[in-house]
This record gives sequence, structure tokens and C-alpha cells, in this order.
Amino acid sequence: MKNTIKQLRHSSQFMVGFVILVAILLLIIIYPIFVTADPLEMVGRGTFFKPGTYVSVVDAVTDGASTQKSYTLNLDTSASRLNARLSMEDREAMVDWLVRFGGVAEGGISTSDDDVPALLELWSEKYDSTNPQKGLIAAKKKYYVRLDKSLKELNNSTDMILAAQGEDGLEQTGTIADDSYVNVKDIANQRTFILGTDNFGRDVLTELVAATKTSIIIGLIAGVVATAIGLFLGLFAGFIGGVVDDFIMFVTNLFTVIPSFVILILISYSVGASARGVTMVAVIIGLTSWPWTTRSVRSQVISLRNRDHVNMSKLSGHSVIRIILVDILPYVASYVVMAFILQISSGILAEAQLSMLGLGPATTTTATLGLMMNWAMTYTAHLNGSWWAYFPVILTIALISFSLNLMNTGLDQVFNPTLRD
Amino acid sequence: MKMKKLMAIMLSLSMVVTVAACGGGEQPAPTDGTADVSAPEEAPTEEPAAEEADTAGDTAADESAAADPNSTPREETLYFAGQQWGTINDWNPMSSNSNNGMAMTQAGSARELVWETLFMYNMLDGKLYGLLGTEYAWNDDQTELTVKLNPDAKWNDGTQVTAADVAYTFDTHVKYESPTGADFSAYIDSVEAVDDTTVVFHAKVDGSGVAVNPLKVLDYIPKVYVMQKAYLETVEARNNNDANAIKQDKMEDMVSSGPYKPFYADDQKVVIQRDDNYWGQAASMWGKLPAPKYLAHMVFSGNDTGLVALKNGEVDVAQMFVANVQDLWEKDGLPISTYIDEAPYGICAAIPTIWFNTKRDGLDQKEIRKAIAMAVDYKQINEAAMTGQSPTFEEVPRSIMNTTGAEQKLIDQAALKDYQFGNDVEAAKKILDDAGVVDSDGDGIREYPAGNNLSFKAECPEGWSDWNATLEIIAAAGKDIGINIETYFPDASTWTEDQTTANFDILMATPNGTASISCPWQRAYEFMSSDNNDAEVKTFGNFGRWQNDRVDELLKLIPLEQDEAKLKEYYTELSQIYLDEVPSFAAMYRPAAFHIVNESVWTNYPQQDDGTNVPPYDCTDGYGVAALYNLTLVEE
Repeated sequence: MKNTIKQLRHSSQFMVGFVILVAILLLIIIYPIFVTADPLEMVGRGTFFKPGTYVSVVDAVTDGASTQKSYTLNLDTSASRLNARLSMEDREAMVDWLVRFGGVAEGGISTSDDDVPALLELWSEKYDSTNPQKGLIAAKKKYYVRLDKSLKELNNSTDMILAAQGEDGLEQTGTIADDSYVNVKDIANQRTFILGTDNFGRDVLTELVAATKTSIIIGLIAGVVATAIGLFLGLFAGFIGGVVDDFIMFVTNLFTVIPSFVILILISYSVGASARGVTMVAVIIGLTSWPWTTRSVRSQVISLRNRDHVNMSKLSGHSVIRIILVDILPYVASYVVMAFILQISSGILAEAQLSMLGLGPATTTTATLGLMMNWAMTYTAHLNGSWWAYFPVILTIALISFSLNLMNTGLDQVFNPTLRD
Repeated sequence: MKMKKLMAIMLSLSMVVTVAACGGGEQPAPTDGTADVSAPEEAPTEEPAAEEADTAGDTAADESAAADPNSTPREETLYFAGQQWGTINDWNPMSSNSNNGMAMTQAGSARELVWETLFMYNMLDGKLYGLLGTEYAWNDDQTELTVKLNPDAKWNDGTQVTAADVAYTFDTHVKYESPTGADFSAYIDSVEAVDDTTVVFHAKVDGSGVAVNPLKVLDYIPKVYVMQKAYLETVEARNNNDANAIKQDKMEDMVSSGPYKPFYADDQKVVIQRDDNYWGQAASMWGKLPAPKYLAHMVFSGNDTGLVALKNGEVDVAQMFVANVQDLWEKDGLPISTYIDEAPYGICAAIPTIWFNTKRDGLDQKEIRKAIAMAVDYKQINEAAMTGQSPTFEEVPRSIMNTTGAEQKLIDQAALKDYQFGNDVEAAKKILDDAGVVDSDGDGIREYPAGNNLSFKAECPEGWSDWNATLEIIAAAGKDIGINIETYFPDASTWTEDQTTANFDILMATPNGTASISCPWQRAYEFMSSDNNDAEVKTFGNFGRWQNDRVDELLKLIPLEQDEAKLKEYYTELSQIYLDEVPSFAAMYRPAAFHIVNESVWTNYPQQDDGTNVPPYDCTDGYGVAALYNLTLVEE
């Protein structure tokens, strides 16, 4: 045993896989200690808020207005705003409009940085949204209206006046200068979404951690169920042989021929949504993925069956159960461990596939990796550029199965001398 | 060793790809709720279509276009998305299972492309505009509706559209018990051709000589296609007057009056071609032909493929829900726009509704129904499910009316203040506590009747993304107040069956009565009428089989009432009862039809405040068809 562990520590594949898995496990254990929010809480009102820190606008404004909490920085705010918001395309579009409808001669104004103030001036003088703008499509007209609105905001470098609803209309309560800044750390109300929010406005990272945990639990249960069934049937079929073997192999072959995923879908569907909790889904997955374990365990047992020590046990009159447990099981144990690891990995993938079809656990009760992908796809996250809603999920699934498979290969090399380098 | 490592990496990668690929192949059902909301009457016709779209599978629509000998010049063709989900099965207005969404929809705002109705409904001003008919008038006691026909109106075989055609159309519908005939024969006694251009609709009257429902008589004229008598006789003859055979006749050789006729149809696209002899170019009607020579509709596998085509400019007009539609122009800078430039981007005339089955234990208690309705986070539905494309319930407070000014003026909002509820979880809990519906065994779920955990299934079709999200939000609301609500997303036909046979606990569906002349009465009727409550199958509304005598009385009074003040009183009272008893409740407001246009090829689509008064109804439905006559090509 000690020797085996030592060998494993020297297997780079096993160690890489092991480290990745432990890192994921640590994340799902430690993260919830620090972030106690309900992973299913719909925090954001709206779909797919992008990753970043969100600060309260009211806090920022009131802090900015108070003399204690605001800072004055000697930076040209309107210039950087212009650079950030007035792209070259916008400038070209403005020039285009001025030439077509504003009576400006072609070449009379350029889009270069130097000409920007002149361009803006000309724009505010000439642009008129009520101009019929013949030949312009409606989408473009609307674009100019939006552009004009944002330019008016940009140009405004006078103090912003704060007002509150008083008894006789609005009453001024303060002003904010253009060069006034606040420190984000001072703002009381803020929330960071490292991976943004999903289509329900749920924090993706928190949800992802909870989902990973659920998926690993599903994988473990499915792995245990599948390996237990496979091992049990394989041991008996291989050791007893004869009619028992024929019958077990008949059933196993049946299950091998029918694609297990189809059976999985049918069972999940017939069980019904209300019964499909995490455990139930895991058990269903386990119940449909045992055949290959049975077959391989059986073939190993057959080769063990006629070894001398087994025959000795038989001669000594030991019971079948005892022979299987004491004389055969230890010899297939290493293989079973590897099969178990692969079963966990495929269980996690099967859950993801099922949930994507809407046959997994309910959305409101648990978060799973498959459900997250299902909703990201339903809300076309892949088309509207909301990568944070699905990419981290895919990456997590990939990492989990990658690490488990690496560990499996590492184990294989340790247990199987012919594979050692 | 190296190989092993490589294999391990390949294996993990391939597994991940399998998951992703599996997702790609299993697109949710395509309709996304949009096809049906406009009118549940269409539901039977469009649902089979939705199923077929699945079998149509991943056939890439644009691939076929390139190699297709029947492709039409881009600058003569207007491309649609979101109306047709499979191979067209017939062109027959009497059919009960037609899926011909591109050419035919007999609803409050009927599709006026191939067949035509007498009048066109305009949901912007709630008025009827002449098409085959020019004017209509009631007699004093609303028992006779006289319609004048346009003498210029011609069939596409050159003969005139006459009063006899109108009368024969109605008689045929009734005789062969088509869905239309079954619906209207309860309200229209007979249709009489007085002379070639004058037709009189005689309303059914009750014992005392009062019309049963004049509104339903009026509902007929913008809704039902006029068919030619001579052609109908041909169809009858070739089917030996057998009702089922006539209703299933494909009518590919039809004589119709509309501006377009069938051109090409297969499982990937449907094209109709302009009839250059169309009668409507007469000065008494449009005075010109519609601009696009061809109208084409690709059969997409789902909304996402439709969206890709819309973004690429391969689709001009899209009737589909696009999450965060404003990103298309604000972020992607595409020449795409909607009727209104700002949220809600469309005219929200439909009200997707959550229905309670009032025959179920627990849901027969108005306190429990109301508590569920109050626990729902409507802002979250508006923002997350509809991505803000709907006015909030603060902007348009709850009643039985939609958001249009024409309907809102028929209720007294001030009188409804005390009845209108919003999202208030604490108040909802209090209602339950006061009613004695409590959690006595400590499992977090309240019981009613004693010992029976309150547990319900909330149902809507699979793949209608915004509806699915809405029900998830409602399930979350149940959790907040100690009622177990699970979501259930079956296929669309199961959902339709559950809905009509009251085999559900909580169900999401849109009442009919969107953009139609019989609104808002039609909607009120569907929300609350107890007609056919004992029938096994109930097609129109009140799926939860709720019953209230005063409501039934009011619903009988409204169609006969012509005094607006009185109507306002009735509708306000109906709203009060509806909001107090909560037999169902509105989840959101939603456009009757989404109207997203890409101006890569065509422009001059209807826009709010453009002075044309053309409703954003997809350039095809009701008075929305007028948009086709205003379109122009984009100038380069």
C-alpha cells in the first residue's frame, strides 16, 4: 500500500489530475464559507449582467456631493469621456450626416482628433432630428438621435445639480463638480460579480460553485451505484459461470446494445419532474451505466477463477461468497477503483446532458452544471456574447473529467506493470 | 507514455464536446411562445407546425437557398421569420389543422396576403378599415349588420367579389361545421345577399328579440376570409359534399382575392408571389401594388437560427422574441429596429396569464390563489424573462385590460386602486396565516385542507424560453410563502390538451382577444365566463373552470351596451371581481406580435409616430398589411 502511494506520487499524470481535483474540491468547500448568499437568489434584475463590481449609484452621487468623501483630481474628464465614447465610426457617421443633410461641403471637416471640437460644434449647430433625412433608413435615423443625446451629455462639463422633491417642487441639495471623484472603497453598497449574472440575475460564480458540488455528488452516487452493480454482477457471472453467467451476460449485452443514454432519457422522463431530485437523477444515471463494468470485471474474474489459491480455497470448502470476497476481489480491486473514477466522470457528464434536455433536477431547488448550460442556451447566451454564463461551466466540466481521467491513467500505470515506462 | 497522455487529453476533450454537441442538437421547441400569443385560436393550427419544426431538424436554410432553382431575386423578396414552422399542409380556410402560418390566420387581425376579409382591424385605433367591404352599419337594435362591398373587388380569375360569395362562405362554414362555422353559428343566424354589393348579417336573437351578442357578429367581418361561391361549389363537388373531405381539401388551385398567390413551398421555405392583376391597385383601395414581388419564409429549426439569419440580413421581418433586442442595434450596430425605439419596443396588447385550476384542493380558495399571485416578483419577470420588453405593473396597473389607450379608457383606475396587488411576500404570508392556511407539521410547506401539503405543478410548453423562465420565477415565489410549486414543461400539444381539459394545477396561457374588434369583451369573457364549464373540453378561456354569477351577468350585458359610461362601469366592476377573486392573474404584458425589422434591403417599415397609422403587425396582419404598400428599397 505504502509502495503504491509512493509510486502514485511519482506519477506526474496522477498528481496533475489529483491537484486539479483537490483544487476544485477545496473551492467548493472553502468558497461557501466566505460567500454565504443563496446561490439561487435572483440578485440582478435583468439578464446577463457582465462581470465586474457594481456600486450603488445613489451612494456614489451622495458621496460625490459630500465634501468629506469626494476627491478632486486634476484630470480632463470630458476629454477622456470623449475618447471613450466617440469612436472613429461615430465621427465618420457624423461627418457623413453633415455632408448629406447638414449642407457641409465634402472634405470640409475631417475625423481626426484635432478636428473633434470643430466637429462637435458643427454637429450641435447643424443636427436636427426633425430633418426628413430622405434616403436614410429608420435604424440609422434612430442611431443619430441616440448619438446626439450622448454627445449632449458629453459636452456638459458644468456642475451637476442635485435636487430633491421638496414641498414646493424641486429643491437644490448639492452640486457635483465635473472633476470630483469618489473612492470605490468608500461606497457602502457594492457587490462584485466575478463571473457576472445569468439569465435569472443569479450570481454565476456562487451558482457555479454550488453546481459543481451538486454535480460531484451526483457523479459520486452514480459512480457508487454503477460500480456496485457492475462489480456484483461481474463477480458472480465470472466466478459461478454456467447458466448464471449466460443469463447475466444476456442482460448485460441487452443493455450494451441499447444506447444507455436513450434508456436514461426514458427513465428520467417517466419518473416525472417532481421525483427528480439530485439523488434520484444520480441513481438513474448509475442504473444505466453499469454494463461495461460488469463485462470487464467478469473477464478478469474468469482469468482468476482457475488460479491455484482459488482452487485451494475451493478444496478447503470455503463458501462462494468468501472465495469471491477474499480470494478474487482483492485482485480486481485496483481495476475497480479505476472503473469507479471513470464512472464518476461519466456520471457528471450524463447529468449535464440530461439537464440540458430539461430532464435533470428542478431549476428552483438546485443548481447543477447541466441546468446552468440549459438556461444559458435557452437565453442564447452564445449568440449575444454572454460568455460568462456558459464558458466557466464548460471549463469546470472539462477540468473535472480531465482530472479524473488523468488520475485514472496514472493509476493504470501504477497498477499495470506492463504500462510502466 | 506520450501517447497515453495525449489520449487522456483527447478523451476529456471529446467528452466535453459531446456535451456541447448534445446541446446544439437539442434545440428547445422553436416557437418560444411567440407564435401562439397573438391568438390562441391559431393555436391548433400552429402547434402541429411547431412539432414539425423539430423533424425539419437542422436543415440549414441558407444552404438550400443558394442551390435552389426557385430562389427569387433578393431585392424583390421580403423575407420573414417566426410565422411558419413546417411544410405547408393546405391553403384551406375551413381546415381545422392547417399549419399555413405564412399565408393564413383567421384571427382578430387576419393575415391578408392570399385570402382577404371584408375589413381589416387596426389595433392602434381600434377601428375597422375597408378591404373587400367599404362600410358597415348596424340597425338600431343591433340585430342586422349591413355591409357594403367594394365594387372594384375581383377574384384572381377576374370575376367580381359579390354579396352571394360572402353569404355562401358563411353557409358553407356552417354546413360543414368548420371551426369558424362552429364558433359563429351561435351568434349569426344567417347572411343575406341583398344585391351584388350589399350583404346583411342577421344576428341570432333570444326569446325577447334581443341579439345574443352583436359583438361576435361584428367580430366576423375582420376575421373570416371570403371565398368564391363558384370555387366552393367545385370543391364540394370534387369531394362529394363530404364534410371531412372538404375540410381537408388542400385548395392548392384556389380562387382567392388577395395580393399574393402560392409560388413555391417545401420543408425549407415557403414563397408566395404577387398577383400583378390584384384588384387592390384600384384607386378605391390601395391605388398600387404591394412593393415586394415575393414574400418568402424560411423554415427555421428554432428562434436561434432565425436570429442568426436576422442578424445577417437574410431575414427582413421577424416575429419572434429576442432577448435584449436593443443589443442588436446598440451593441452590434446592425440596421435593425423595432416599432418603438425604447422599451417595451412594441405594442403590448397580449396578456400572458397564469391560470389556477379552481377545482383543485387549495386552489379553490381565493386566499391561496391571491397569496401566490402576490408572492410573484413581477419586476423580475419583466426584466429577466421579458428582458424589459413589457411595461411594468406600476406603469400599467392590473385590470382585465391590455396596455393600449383604447382599452385603458374603458376602466376607472381610481376605483381599482384597492384591488390591485403587487409583489408583497409579507402580505401574502399574512393572507395565508389569516385564512388558517399554516404549516402545522414544520416541513416548511403549508397545508390545506389539514394534513395535505400544498403542492402544485406549473405548466407551459417546453422551449418557450421566456415563459419557462416566468414559471421558474413563480416556483421561486411559492418557495417564499411555503407553497411547493414545481415547473412542468411538456410538449406543446400536451399542454394544449391539459389546458382544454382542465388537467393542470397552474398553467400559463394567453387569452385570445388580442388586437381584435371584439376586445376587451372577448378577453373578459375568456378570463371569467362559466360557459361550457362542465364540458369535458373547453377551448376558449377560463381554463380553471371558475364560476361567478355576477360576472356571467355582466358578460351578457356588455355586448348589448352602447353607452360608453355604462360600459366603463361594467368593465370596472369586472376588473374588481377579477382582481379580488384571482381566478387567474397576468404575468406580464407582451406584444401581440413581435415586429423586428432589418433594413439591409427594404426600408420604410411602420414606426411609431411616423403618421401612417399602420400597426406593427408584421406587415401581414389586419391593417398591418398596409406596410407592404409603403416599403421601399434601401438607397445605396
